[in-house]
Amino acid sequence: MLRRIFAWIAAIIAGAVLGLGSAWAVLKFGGQSFTEDYGRWEFSRAAGSTAAGPYTRAIIARGGLLALSAREAVYFSLYTDEHNRPLSESCIYTLAGRPLDARWWSVTLYADDNFLAQNNDNAYSIDATRIGNDAPWTARISPVRGDAANWLSSREARRGFVIMLRVYNPQRDFRPSEQTLPVLTTVSCAGDTP
Amino acid sequence: MRWGKYILGALIAAVLVHFAAIIAVPRVLMHVAIERFGAAGVNTWHVADRVTAASRQIVRPAPDFAYSVCVYDLSAGPVVITAVPWEQYWSLSLYGENTDNFFVIDDRDAHSGAQITLVKRGAAHPEGASMVVESPSTHGIALIRRLAPTASTYDAAKQVAADDVCASATQTGN
Repeated sequence: MLRRIFAWIAAIIAGAVLGLGSAWAVLKFGGQSFTEDYGRWEFSRAAGSTAAGPYTRAIIARGGLLALSAREAVYFSLYTDEHNRPLSESCIYTLAGRPLDARWWSVTLYADDNFLAQNNDNAYSIDATRIGNDAPWTARISPVRGDAANWLSSREARRGFVIMLRVYNPQRDFRPSEQTLPVLTTVSCAGDTP
Repeated sequence: MRWGKYILGALIAAVLVHFAAIIAVPRVLMHVAIERFGAAGVNTWHVADRVTAASRQIVRPAPDFAYSVCVYDLSAGPVVITAVPWEQYWSLSLYGENTDNFFVIDDRDAHSGAQITLVKRGAAHPEGASMVVESPSTHGIALIRRLAPTASTYDAAKQVAADDVCASATQTGN
């Protein structure tokens, strides 16, 4: 009798561990299943939506709590470079963009913990009020500014940081695509052979 | 076969715990946010400091906005929320306990500012209230975003935000 009780307790504990582990795995690695990809940019139209399913809601709550619904703003996240490598503080990148069919946009760099990088460079973001939304633009993503006119500081962002594009009040004809969204190019990485 | 019922029990427990965790995650994270923002009081606006690397209350804060946050509590009745207009983009958005953004209004819809009366879903609408919004939950978060990408525009937005209202309808007389 006692053996049977222990067996049931063990079975339930094992099931609970399996359930929690699989939920963690979905939240950690399942984000891509609920997003659309435009080039390397990931996009979830369900952010903030009352129509979001439980998985989408849970994944977005982890990385974008208090996001606006798609009518108001759309969010794109970039995690990897053109070689599918995680974005890294030890690399220098350029980001080249074009005007977007929207009222305002911004590009912000977040460290691997989804918060602003712990530096005092005051170069967390670039946006349409400073760069304009009527001509192509480029920005440098690097730990030091150098001669860059537009700069996102990756100092203390470590390996695995995120570039986030916010597009506010997108117009009806706003159609995200690999061609319309900013393009990231790796200039160099520390340790690369010249 | 002897172990079959235990394996089946473990699988049932796994499925139940898995879905419970998935459903609980946004509510737990929202509860943490409500606790943090509401620590200084509910049904009142708190103007957040300018977003910097030290801002670690909510993931991925936008450094280009001046944020005002009000944790609302409808347990004692409706709450009146107003947002004073701003010279650039601004919006007032409402989030339920499950993280859903169930309402948003911006300067395209409300050139001269917004005033809403927030009630719990299914509750009676106060007489005379011009715009009544139903919240799916008793508690939640109201958020005003004002586009203010520089230190000077943030300071100006902070001054404007001082006139926003988030208060129990009985206090405001509505």
